Amino acid sequence: MLAYIVRRLFLMVVTLFGISVIIFVLLRIVPGNIVDILFAAAGYVDPADKANLERELGLDQPIVVQYLHWIAGLLRGDLGYSYVSEKPALDEILPRIPITARLAGLALLFSASIGIPLGVISAVKQGTRLDYALRVLSLSGLSLPSFWLGLLILMASVALFGTMPIFNPEPKTWTEAIAIYCVPAMAVGFRSAALTMRITRSSMLEILRQDFIRTARAKGASEASVNFHHALKNAILPVITVIGIEAAFLIGGLIVTETVFNIPGVARFLVEAIRWRDYPIVQNLVMMIAVVVVLANFTVDMLYAVFDPRIRYTD
Amino acid sequence: MAAINYDSELKRAGANATHGWRRLAFLAQRHMLGTIGLFFMLLFVWAAAFADLICRYDPLSVDSAHALLHPDARHWMGTDSFGRDVWSRIIHGARISLAVGIGSTALGSLFGVSIGLASGYLSGWVDLVFQRVTDILQALPLLVLALIMTAALGPSLPNVIIAIAIPLIPTVARVIRANTLALRELPFIEAAKSIGMSETRIALRHILPNTLAPLIVLATAQLGSTILTEASLSFLGLGIPEPFPSWGRMLSESAAEYVRTAPWLVIFPGLAISLAVFGTNLFGDALRDILDPRQRG
Amino acid sequence: MRSVQALAAAAALSWLAISSIALAGEPKQGGILRMYHRDSPGSASIHEGATYSMNVPFMPVFNNLVIYKQDVAQNSMDSIVPDLAESWAWSGDNKTLTFKLRQGVKWHDGKPFTSADVKCTFDMLMGKSPQKFRQNPRKSWYDEVADVTTSGDFEVAFNLKRPQPALLALLASGYTPVYPCHVSPGDMRTHPIGTGPFKFVEFKANESIKLVRNPDYWKKDLPHLDGIEFTIIPNRSTAMLAFVAGKFDMTFPTEVSIPLLKDIKSQAPNAVCVVTPNNVNTNIIVNSSSPPFDNLDIRRALALALDRKAFISILFEGHADIGGTMLPAPEGFWGMPKDMLETIPGYGPDVNANREQARKLMQKAGYGADKHLAVKVSTRNIPVYRDPAVILIDQLKSIYIDADLDVVETANWFPKIARKDYALGLNLTGNSVDDPDQSFYENYSCGSERNYTNYCNKAIEKLFDEQSQETDVARRKKLVWEIDKQLQEDVARPIIFHAHTGTCWQPYVKGVTVMTNSSYNGYRYEDVWLDK
Repeated sequence: MLAYIVRRLFLMVVTLFGISVIIFVLLRIVPGNIVDILFAAAGYVDPADKANLERELGLDQPIVVQYLHWIAGLLRGDLGYSYVSEKPALDEILPRIPITARLAGLALLFSASIGIPLGVISAVKQGTRLDYALRVLSLSGLSLPSFWLGLLILMASVALFGTMPIFNPEPKTWTEAIAIYCVPAMAVGFRSAALTMRITRSSMLEILRQDFIRTARAKGASEASVNFHHALKNAILPVITVIGIEAAFLIGGLIVTETVFNIPGVARFLVEAIRWRDYPIVQNLVMMIAVVVVLANFTVDMLYAVFDPRIRYTD
Repeated sequence: MAAINYDSELKRAGANATHGWRRLAFLAQRHMLGTIGLFFMLLFVWAAAFADLICRYDPLSVDSAHALLHPDARHWMGTDSFGRDVWSRIIHGARISLAVGIGSTALGSLFGVSIGLASGYLSGWVDLVFQRVTDILQALPLLVLALIMTAALGPSLPNVIIAIAIPLIPTVARVIRANTLALRELPFIEAAKSIGMSETRIALRHILPNTLAPLIVLATAQLGSTILTEASLSFLGLGIPEPFPSWGRMLSESAAEYVRTAPWLVIFPGLAISLAVFGTNLFGDALRDILDPRQRG
Repeated sequence: MRSVQALAAAAALSWLAISSIALAGEPKQGGILRMYHRDSPGSASIHEGATYSMNVPFMPVFNNLVIYKQDVAQNSMDSIVPDLAESWAWSGDNKTLTFKLRQGVKWHDGKPFTSADVKCTFDMLMGKSPQKFRQNPRKSWYDEVADVTTSGDFEVAFNLKRPQPALLALLASGYTPVYPCHVSPGDMRTHPIGTGPFKFVEFKANESIKLVRNPDYWKKDLPHLDGIEFTIIPNRSTAMLAFVAGKFDMTFPTEVSIPLLKDIKSQAPNAVCVVTPNNVNTNIIVNSSSPPFDNLDIRRALALALDRKAFISILFEGHADIGGTMLPAPEGFWGMPKDMLETIPGYGPDVNANREQARKLMQKAGYGADKHLAVKVSTRNIPVYRDPAVILIDQLKSIYIDADLDVVETANWFPKIARKDYALGLNLTGNSVDDPDQSFYENYSCGSERNYTNYCNKAIEKLFDEQSQETDVARRKKLVWEIDKQLQEDVARPIIFHAHTGTCWQPYVKGVTVMTNSSYNGYRYEDVWLDK
């Protein structure tokens, strides 16, 4: 077991290293860098000034040198300086994380509280009209683009309330706080809820088919007891793991939703940084996302290995 | 994983006939939702193919006198701020979405199958290297990787297809690899080896066909994702550029100015995306039920 | 009886009118002006920027030597008033401009303002200082300045190589604040220090910009506001809705497009809105150094094919001006009169006749109904660039040109243009000051960085110099018109239209004046007050 963990950790490091190289190279094969953008805004290109600026930002050095510089900084905790704001990248990224984290948390909460119960119901009532309806509902949830859902919500809120939720970093009332966080969280969480529902349903079905359920029924346990005590407890593990993985993949939905609702979170920041070719921000943000995903996968695998002794890992 | 024995499955389900069209009809009836999904998909394909016939107006030509019209008998879905007919743009947009969706899924599957097959069959250091590559590609969410790739390659139709194809590769490779590993141990492979068949031939003629079923299931599932990803990229302004009418970009343009004044500009493109993906998902689900009942959910 | 009643009514009404004017005329102190900003400025240093995204939020932080009077809508030489300079005078030969500076002015960090600060600022702008700006877009404004000398702490002189009356106009622009000597350019980008009515508090990229009242401002009792807050909302719909809902006191200046204006008036009928030109013109840059537009006939055909009225009606519902390089009257000071304009090929009212002529020119060049010319129209990937490009492509069809839209990312736009890697480009040119010196030299002189088409005509440049030195305004105007006409006839850079845009504010916001011939000079906000 220990050997397995160590091996996985080593592979994680290799993966992260690979990602860092890829993202670094990808950003730099793009024609046009921050200097070009700054001059584009000014409406002219002065070769002397441009060369100066590139030297100042270290962009004229060979790629390998720039890469090592970055990695060395990362290991020390120094993420470099944003090209656009000239502040430390960490100072730009850190304050935005809580906002996105709140949205992500609320979205997951929404997704779990809607997805799990509906999935259970769907599995228990398999084959009935209700099951059919819920399956169609979940598939439609997966098919709606989350930014469109966000736009529809905006339109509805304008039509119903005459206004829309504008982000305010310090909401004064509870209603305001709910409006600015829950509404976008629902737009993001809808898709996750659909996915959670499907996974819950399928894992419940797997469990319900199994022998120990039949035994429980034969022993005279009530339907409710069978469903919740025996089945759900066992089905919950794959669901938790999917939620864990979903957490990392929420980022895609968060990016578009933060754009639609104009929320200054870290996901929208990534898109802006890409537009500005703000390498330090993009590199570090992507590495952070990668770390989150990799850690999530690792945790999930560990959970499986610990809680389900039937699963053994061969590679 | 043993190959599915369709005949016995069907018999078990109570089919009367097990051959040809009747089998298909039986399946279609049994998986109503899937048939509906297939119908939607074919509708979009047909619309994309015959776009010029079913549209009265050119999606690209500007007609200022008729800008921002409500949907009416002449313009079924109204017009946009340039007077372009929205219906035409939606139908032509189907071409783009399908091109990107099918193109990137096909590309991703092609590379994914190659990597997965090589990885699973050859093992050794080939496997190790490919495994690491797929790990790396899988560590980033689809949209993030696609965003960076379109930023890297520049906005154009082929670049968007490549950018979306690349994040699909690891999933395909994983599945194909798992299947290859299982199939490799089966007796008939041993038999083939013993009569002196080359490794490549074995891989291509015996293993690959048996991985097709999960591949098809996976590809249809991914088709929905690719359409959504293209829409998201275009919405963020980093996807298909002008003048191609992309549903996602139509949404971003209308969202910026016309959310309240011209809601049809927001409703119809989104509806198109949802229906296309919905149809794909329904069909994909049914296909999975048929081809790979172990995964039935 | 009736007449007495009428008289009483009239008296009452006039008393009401006078008293309300008197009451409205009393500025109240206090309140924070909340505006939205359409996009995040690259930095806080006005001298390093070239977009009014930067002027609007940061002009309140500074003062200039001289400034355009902020409550006069049309910028002209007559509306230039003292700011940090109390008075100024030209020498007899018009080659030296001496300013007497105000005393007792303090920078926001408490240090005193002296003539050394003026010299520092302009030395940096001219590239003569060891401290360097990262970018210096307006370096060419000071090409005729030999040096800047100080005489004591409160007198500074600009010594010119030859007379340039327009220098005063350039100094009055919102783009020419005075920077302190003791703050580095790098710090000015992140935390600017000025002498102006508002102090910089913070700038969170893509989120907000906050300014607070300067209690030690050298103009007594000004500013009226306690502060100004900008919230950055790139999505126009969201921003407009927030304005209509009362969350913002004012829209971003010149940001309200004409279609949205109608929407705002219907949703918020009490809002005060004005529509003005913003002195940004949309033009076509033509690469005349390589085929096919090195052929003068084809260029002329292009000029003749333009149906400017169609652009204006599609994009602005009629609210835009047709003109040459200089903004047309009445808002612009130097625009050609209409009858002169219409003699230029392509500007005549009969579009069909023009296009017939254009087609003949194309046929002469070897193209026709069966042989079309394929070109790419390059433009930036933002709506205000893309939308006219789409219309242009449609119009080119009428003269056998099949154009494709080539959308270029912002980062690649200027390098691409600089490399001459384009055939036709759709471009927007903002004129920071309504003065021919600024427009002509920046856009049409040989070797200028912003002369994207590399148009180079030595004879016309002599005319540029001639008008630049002309002190008699009437004579200068005539010269400017001649030059403008010739530039258009050379098809250097066909000007399609001069846009009009709207600005709206809530009825309780008073003291706002939107400039009619510039969108870079009217943002000091020291006169603005909130009537609530």
